[in-house]
Amino acid sequence: MDASARRRRPPLPVVLLVHALVYAGVAVMAVPLLWMVATSLKTEAEAGASPTFSTLLPNAPQWVNYARAFESARLERYYVNSTLAAVLTTVLGVAHNALAGYAFAKLRFRGRRVLLGVALATMMVPVQVYFIFAYLLCTRLGYVDSVQALVVPFLASGFGIFYMRQAILAVPDSLLEAGRLDGMSEFEVFWHIVRPTVWPAMCALGIFTFVFSWNNFFWPLIVVDSERSKTLPLALADLSAGLYVDSWPVQMAAATIMVGPMVAVYLVLQRAFVQGVALTGMKE
Amino acid sequence: MLSAMRRGSSLPAYGFLAFPLAALFLFTLAPTIAGLGLSLFAWDGGGVPRFVGLSNFEDLWADAAFRPALRNTLLFVALSVPPTVVIGFLLAVAVNASWFAGKTIARAAFFLPTILSIVAIGFVWRWLLDPEAGLVNWALRGVGLEQPPDWLNDGWWPMASIVLVSVWRGVGFCMVLYLASLGSISRSLYEAAEVDGAGPWSVVRHVTWPQVAPTTAFLLITGVIGALQVFDIVFVMTGQVESDRTNVLNLYVYRQFTYGQLGYAAAIGVVIFTITILATLAQLAWYALRGKGV
Repeated sequence: MDASARRRRPPLPVVLLVHALVYAGVAVMAVPLLWMVATSLKTEAEAGASPTFSTLLPNAPQWVNYARAFESARLERYYVNSTLAAVLTTVLGVAHNALAGYAFAKLRFRGRRVLLGVALATMMVPVQVYFIFAYLLCTRLGYVDSVQALVVPFLASGFGIFYMRQAILAVPDSLLEAGRLDGMSEFEVFWHIVRPTVWPAMCALGIFTFVFSWNNFFWPLIVVDSERSKTLPLALADLSAGLYVDSWPVQMAAATIMVGPMVAVYLVLQRAFVQGVALTGMKE
Repeated sequence: MLSAMRRGSSLPAYGFLAFPLAALFLFTLAPTIAGLGLSLFAWDGGGVPRFVGLSNFEDLWADAAFRPALRNTLLFVALSVPPTVVIGFLLAVAVNASWFAGKTIARAAFFLPTILSIVAIGFVWRWLLDPEAGLVNWALRGVGLEQPPDWLNDGWWPMASIVLVSVWRGVGFCMVLYLASLGSISRSLYEAAEVDGAGPWSVVRHVTWPQVAPTTAFLLITGVIGALQVFDIVFVMTGQVESDRTNVLNLYVYRQFTYGQLGYAAAIGVVIFTITILATLAQLAWYALRGKGV
């Protein structure tokens, strides 16, 4: 195997060129965030001037920009709102989708095929078609401007149900039968046998759901009305429009505070994120 | 499975399904049906909707702002989706090679924007693309370009910027999905190609690319669906200016919604939905026909 790998290796200049191109790409991916952090530590004059080699990095880091960012906008409030919405959506959403996925994978009932088809069909519909009446319903329920509006509409999704169903289909029926013979109820079978077995899939769906909820923009833009209920993406959009503060360095400090923790968590849990976000997308 | 199904009634299943399906029905399915119906009405959200037949669609066709939005949306789909998929494929092939050093780092870097909010990405890129203080034009001037474009204001450059940033954001996702499917290609195919004396590029072109066709199909179909709904990136990067060069359908829906033109907004939603279905069916049909032809 080693010999064949060596035989397949292209000539050295090609190898070097490919590395150069890919790592140039890596730089293009990293520079925007690094530039954001660099700008956040600059003075107004440094940031506003045309860049030169000597002003790429701040001369003396202006940590005060971070204090000014917290003064100019209620960042901690947006953090609480976003975290609450994302955590609730993740926990409740995975639970609902797993319950429905179990029913579709392992239980027999009238209307199974039709209901599954309908649930899957909802995946195809763009949010622009249903957001108007979903919004009106939230208004009627008194959800507008509260965390319910950001959680309840996402309790179940066609995609989540399908994903959990596929995972649960792979659980051997003999395991479930054994539980039933021991006198377990269907819910006990789900909780004590199915849930532990498909836990990795639930975690992957959980990360996917968390990232989706954390970054969701269009729906919060519709259902959030007031300053105190804003989520981070809404606040970022307002920041970007210059609503809070006019200074680029302070804006960049605020943006760094908003995206920094997510980036840090991603860098630590990279493998889990890649599997959760991308491989969940494979739907297999 | 069959024995489990034979016993008992439907009751436990309905217990499992009650809450999830109720949520799905109330917040997605019913609003979808109502939304499709609303496109035939004039309604500002209060009082009784007035039935107007197809006149919302006739108005759309005559609306001077609608056609540019439609054109820009299709332009965005055509310009952003194929490059994202192809670059993602090439990156996956490159870092998957046994001789590539640093696969994990490269994957982490390219995948990073996938987990960032598009709002944050648009915000940072606006700063990078600033004509004076921006890093991009500094680099362009550095390589001898005297008059770099004013990215977010000049002619078609705003649309080009939106496309570039979307490709920048999307390649990592495609790369990761391709990496997963590259792992399942049989080694014997490569060995056979080698015996035939195929060069590295020829192997990529004639062995690897056809073998990952299902992933390509998946990425193109879902990519087109997503790109037809483009909103966040446009809203943040150029949304403050209403321009016929950057207005897209979804932004138009949002504006009509904020003006209280709910029936009209619903009609645009129906247009997006219809294009989504047609584009998806066309691609599925194309793959089916091609599959038979081979």
